[in-house]
Amino acid sequence: MTPWCKSSLEQGVLLAYWLGELSETDEARTEEHLLGCAACSERLGELIALRNGVRTLARAGGVRAIVNDAFVRRLVEQGVRVREYRVPHNGSVNCTVTPEDDIVFTRLDAPLGGVARLDMVEMDSQGKRRARHEDVPFQTGSGGVVFIPRIDELRALPATTMRVRLLAVDEAGERVIGEYTFNHTPHAAD
Amino acid sequence: MLKTESESPPDDAALALRVARAAPGTDREAEAELYRRLAPRVRLYGLRHLRGEAPAADLMQQVLLMTIERLRAGALRDPQQLASFVLGMCRMVVLDLKRGHARRERLLETYGDVLLPGEALTPSPDRARLMECLERLTERERTVLIMTFYDDVPAETLARELGLSAANVRVIRHRGLQRLRACVTGEQS
Repeated sequence: MTPWCKSSLEQGVLLAYWLGELSETDEARTEEHLLGCAACSERLGELIALRNGVRTLARAGGVRAIVNDAFVRRLVEQGVRVREYRVPHNGSVNCTVTPEDDIVFTRLDAPLGGVARLDMVEMDSQGKRRARHEDVPFQTGSGGVVFIPRIDELRALPATTMRVRLLAVDEAGERVIGEYTFNHTPHAAD
Repeated sequence: MLKTESESPPDDAALALRVARAAPGTDREAEAELYRRLAPRVRLYGLRHLRGEAPAADLMQQVLLMTIERLRAGALRDPQQLASFVLGMCRMVVLDLKRGHARRERLLETYGDVLLPGEALTPSPDRARLMECLERLTERERTVLIMTFYDDVPAETLARELGLSAANVRVIRHRGLQRLRACVTGEQS
């Protein structure tokens, strides 16, 4: 192993290099450094391992996240088995998850014009709050929010009703943007 | 690991010099050590440019065999320029691999006995730990990291998709990565 490193590459530079964001000159400089420096190349290896772990989890529905339509399209194009639910504004949906599904994702139609910050609140059938996700990412013109729940949590659910509320938050307080009901039924084994 | 008389390992340039100065093929110990050190680095270059384990492993073998071949032939005048020398070969082989030309068989026939198994990349972090650490991120950090890593999406593209500025995506990405890494490695509770 190289015993020293003249100027250690920052994590941000390593990631930018991996993603192809550096200029041609910076990329060449970075590559020469990496080929001559065991310590920095080890850190790049760790970064790639972390990326691989996140990627594997995401492919297997192992992480809850707000995403977008482009991300779902990529999943489908790459052969991930996706179950999709689209819930109209203030509407409801009957839903389940089967053993064949890799990922379940839900699109909540919502009027997001003029919204600065959006929070998502998960509630049980009685309206009792289970979780509040603050400042979820959204695109104003997208007409809704796309989210992926963890598939292991969905598989463990009994027959139940859940609600999700979208809240716009600003200095004046908060207002309800939309409320959505999920009537979940566990998959019946054949 | 190879040690000098003073018991500190020689640097890459010193090893390259030993290979170059020895009669061709006689300092197998130095060649093997140089191979062991450079293999993971060249493999990462291959992963970056070829985006696959198999072509990266191919690149690694070809580049290292060519490096040793050229060192034996005295083609590297300044051993301090070893990284630049290897980078030149990486670029050439990537072009070759992309064109579908391979000189691997001939090289393997001549230099195959120098080959050692390539070192495995760092294993992915524990799945349960990673799930827990991802949950600890803010919504925006989690979204940006997942969408970045899933398909190696650069900040400019992600910014357009999320309606953010590229600078904003980079800031969120940087902060999220720092926190995720610290959590996974146990640097934070």
